[in-house]
Amino acid sequence: MRNLILFIRRFFNLILFLLLEILCIILIGNTNTVQGNDIVSSANTIAGIVYKKHSDVLYYFGLRNMNDSLLYENARLRNQLEKYKYTDLLKDSIVHLQIGNNDTSKIHTTKYYDFIYRTARVINNSTNATDNYITINRGSKDGISKNMAVISSTGIVGRVEHVSAHYASIFSVLSSKHKVSAKLKNGTNGFVIWDEKDPDILTMIDVPQQINVKQGDSIYTNFSQYYPPDILIGVVQKVEMIKKNALQQIYLKSSTDFHNLQYVYVIENTMASEKKQLEELNNKK
Amino acid sequence: MNIYLKNFLRFCIIVLLQVLILKRITLIWWTNPHTFPAFIPDVYPLFILLLPFEISVWALLLLGFTLGITIDTFMNTGGIHAFAMVLVAYLRTNVLNALMPRNLNEYVNQQPTIKTMGWMPFLVYSAFLIFIHHSVFYILEMWNVGNLNILLIKIAVSTITTMLFILIYILLFTRQNAAKL
Repeated sequence: MRNLILFIRRFFNLILFLLLEILCIILIGNTNTVQGNDIVSSANTIAGIVYKKHSDVLYYFGLRNMNDSLLYENARLRNQLEKYKYTDLLKDSIVHLQIGNNDTSKIHTTKYYDFIYRTARVINNSTNATDNYITINRGSKDGISKNMAVISSTGIVGRVEHVSAHYASIFSVLSSKHKVSAKLKNGTNGFVIWDEKDPDILTMIDVPQQINVKQGDSIYTNFSQYYPPDILIGVVQKVEMIKKNALQQIYLKSSTDFHNLQYVYVIENTMASEKKQLEELNNKK
Repeated sequence: MNIYLKNFLRFCIIVLLQVLILKRITLIWWTNPHTFPAFIPDVYPLFILLLPFEISVWALLLLGFTLGITIDTFMNTGGIHAFAMVLVAYLRTNVLNALMPRNLNEYVNQQPTIKTMGWMPFLVYSAFLIFIHHSVFYILEMWNVGNLNILLIKIAVSTITTMLFILIYILLFTRQNAAKL
């Protein structure tokens, strides 16, 4: 007995070493079984907490990429939606037969508006000048050209004014010279301008007095040279009657938050030039 | 600073460094990715390497086991890290005895660094133990002698990489110790 204790004391380190190594081998052996050992795995609480915190921190660094991908996703979905929105089913018109197209479901379908949505990030923005411009990080190389409409996810922003190879400046709705053709919910037309005072408030003019406008009504864009139809401009905040010409003035709260504009969509109307050419023929006569 | 607190903090820092940062750095040989394996630099044995000279063997063994199990927990490797770590902890005293001119008990309150050992002995000491650790770890991890080439390349390259990381660590933290002494 005494010899055994002496032996253990003498080779204590070696015995401990061998015991620990055997323990490790048992652990390794257990890992590959079905039961596994949950203690030595990242499923345990402490390792879980550390990894959770770590991914929480890393999550913030990934937000920009995530934002971008959501934006592209939105643009893609909007593009898909356009296909269904602006097609006209002329069921009995033989004129629109597309020769050489075997897809029978599309034979009577004529597209007359075709919009392409492109995403862009705002890199410079102003709201306090008389004519406000916004700069975006897309230019002619990305397919942006003059007079394309620009909207945010919540509503109208403006239209493209100048284009360079990689940047474009947008003529914001917040400008004394910008006039947007607008319509009320019931179809009454008018124009939306900006009175150069408050970047949150737009003014709609040329609405006849007999039209009943309530606070909270939405105002949308009319189809015009620049803008696609039915894009939200703002909601009615106050209505003012003008006595001398039987018109009323509507003050809108703009639906886009111009102070905090980060991402926008640039909309290309692929039929715009064709329409313009046609209308110029009318003017010549 | 208290030597226990200091080593405890070093333990936490090295484990977090290994688990949160180095684990994500998967180094792949950039010229020929098909024949060259990806590997993670394992710097954590540094904790055992930097413990004071006069620490007893059983404490080293238990600390090495704890460190290895902690890393295993995060890496989901069962007990492979712990196995290699216990071996390194056991060999540490012998390697140090061979390299140092005096008996280890005479170095009171000192730890193996470039300052106390000099460049060459420290490099030999750490490179040898890291090499042992990596060899054992990769042999256990692969458990397959068929790919002997890949195994050898993996051991060699990860040893070199780990030594680079250890040198960076030593160079970063030695001056602070010198200022305190």
